[in-house]
Amino acid sequence: MENFSIRTEELKKTFGRTTALQGVSFDLSAGLLHGLIGSNGAGKTTTMRLLAGLLKPTSGTISYFSGGRPAVFADLRPSLAYMPQQASLYPDLSVGEHLEFFRELYRLEPGVYARRSAELLEITRLAKFRERRAGQLSGGMYKKLGLMCALLQSPSVLLLDEPTNGVDPISRREFWELLYGLAAQKILIIVSTAYMDEAERCSRVHLLDSGRLLASGEPREVLKQTGAASFEEIFIKQGEGK
Amino acid sequence: MNGFNLHRAYSIARKEVMHILRDPFTLALALGLPVMLVTFFGYAIDYEVKGITLAVSDQDGGPAARRLKEMFSSSGYFLPVEAVPGSGPVAMLDSGRASAALFIEPEFSKKIMGGGAVQAQFVLDGSDNAKGAAVVGYLPGIQRAAQARLAGQALREPFSFETRFLYNPELNSRWFTVPGLAAIIIGLLAILLTALTVAREWENGSMELLLSTPVRPLEIMVGKLAPYGALVLAGVFFVYLVARLVFGVPFAGSHLLYLAACLLFITAALSQGLFISVVTRQQQVAMQLGMITGLLPSMLLSGFIFPVESMPKFFQYFTMILPPRWFMAAARGITLKGADLGELAVPFLALGLLSAGMLALALIKFKTDLE
Repeated sequence: MENFSIRTEELKKTFGRTTALQGVSFDLSAGLLHGLIGSNGAGKTTTMRLLAGLLKPTSGTISYFSGGRPAVFADLRPSLAYMPQQASLYPDLSVGEHLEFFRELYRLEPGVYARRSAELLEITRLAKFRERRAGQLSGGMYKKLGLMCALLQSPSVLLLDEPTNGVDPISRREFWELLYGLAAQKILIIVSTAYMDEAERCSRVHLLDSGRLLASGEPREVLKQTGAASFEEIFIKQGEGK
Repeated sequence: MNGFNLHRAYSIARKEVMHILRDPFTLALALGLPVMLVTFFGYAIDYEVKGITLAVSDQDGGPAARRLKEMFSSSGYFLPVEAVPGSGPVAMLDSGRASAALFIEPEFSKKIMGGGAVQAQFVLDGSDNAKGAAVVGYLPGIQRAAQARLAGQALREPFSFETRFLYNPELNSRWFTVPGLAAIIIGLLAILLTALTVAREWENGSMELLLSTPVRPLEIMVGKLAPYGALVLAGVFFVYLVARLVFGVPFAGSHLLYLAACLLFITAALSQGLFISVVTRQQQVAMQLGMITGLLPSMLLSGFIFPVESMPKFFQYFTMILPPRWFMAAARGITLKGADLGELAVPFLALGLLSAGMLALALIKFKTDLE
């Protein structure tokens, strides 16, 4: 598996008159679980879409590295998986049919697919819901199915846009257990979330507020630097400062 | 970047087929609606005007006047009704109780006996152009017959036309309407089906997910178009059966050529739907736009009802960018005249160019939108 890392410099994105990102620079170092933390409208989804190559930056650059050496997006694209924030699966297709469809899109070998899908159904505990249509899954199961579709091709870079949004606490915990398991495989994972308690679960956090980067680094370091007791406090202080 | 991959296009198509099979509404719409509409409107639309109420003001009352009235009623097109003398017939026209009026002047019979020239006045409700034009078309025949009977013998005319209609000898208007109607309905269906499919993918949020996978825009487009193309083609087949079996429309030309014309036309219509879908990204708006752009030009500007030749110059050129105009020409040429490819070179060339252009437009818009 390749070892990708990403660096953004002065990343800016405007949509008409609204500015979603106003110059964001951070390092997404290889093999770690990164958290993009921020409230709604902070620019998390825009950042994700830029990283996934679905949007082009208005200005600034995104540099990709493979094993420390500069790479282009095309090198990374085949092994990048992205899970959008909004519902994006087909309500009329079953769990199994989703897996089949993504197998075909990724052109996986039958043997690889059989092993991989069995493994994913096992860890997500969705095996017995194989025949159930996506439209009839609970919120948590739906997110897990999205994650399965993203993980089917064994990506080296995983972008998850608010994967735990609107999911009950127990399912959220389960989801994080899954992410820890993935992080252990040393792939680059970027998770965005508006839940501040989830920030501490990441190995690196990048705090976004109104399109600006507030802080970046290891969760404890960030707390120490800002002198705040919790991540909520950082955001609240920022709000008061305005 | 990787190039076009047929397998991935196929997997998109396969998924689309699953959607279609699970959505009975789409399936019924695609297969049932064309047949239903063609049958329904095929019966309803008839250019022949029959049973026109003719208000007659007979101020003569003689034998010649009586015979003239008989001529009108025996033509099968008119139902003469006596009107009260004076302004009677005009009042009947005003109130819509009659569509035409016949005034026979006093001394009509006497003058004819005397061998003089006489006139009978025929007044027509001009508020309905189409009806009026059809009725005027019947007059020369009645006049000729009347001349022969009233004068006792056929007048010797120095010159006369002998008219014979080729391809549709009885001028059966259904032979003319049904193939055209099929073109309109098939075009509309193709536009609507594709207009909805990509918009649904955007609305559903799945487009974003698709685009983050290795699948290319062209593969998505091909995968989307192929199943709907097949579905519409199945619709064409059913419409063909109805036209042949129910309306007895003749098929003089080559079926293969007709299939080729259908494929070109369907491609153009599918691409138009795709373009709408890509631009609007919303099913509701796509549906409305598809309805308007799919129905109005093909009904009014394709030559289905109004001949292109009689339009103002600007519109004659304007209709050239409308695929239904060319398909209409090709379909009527093949079914009624048995025209071959050589004779239909212009419609075919135009259809080919338009469908290629439309496809390119949709693809370019699709690709640039995503970047």
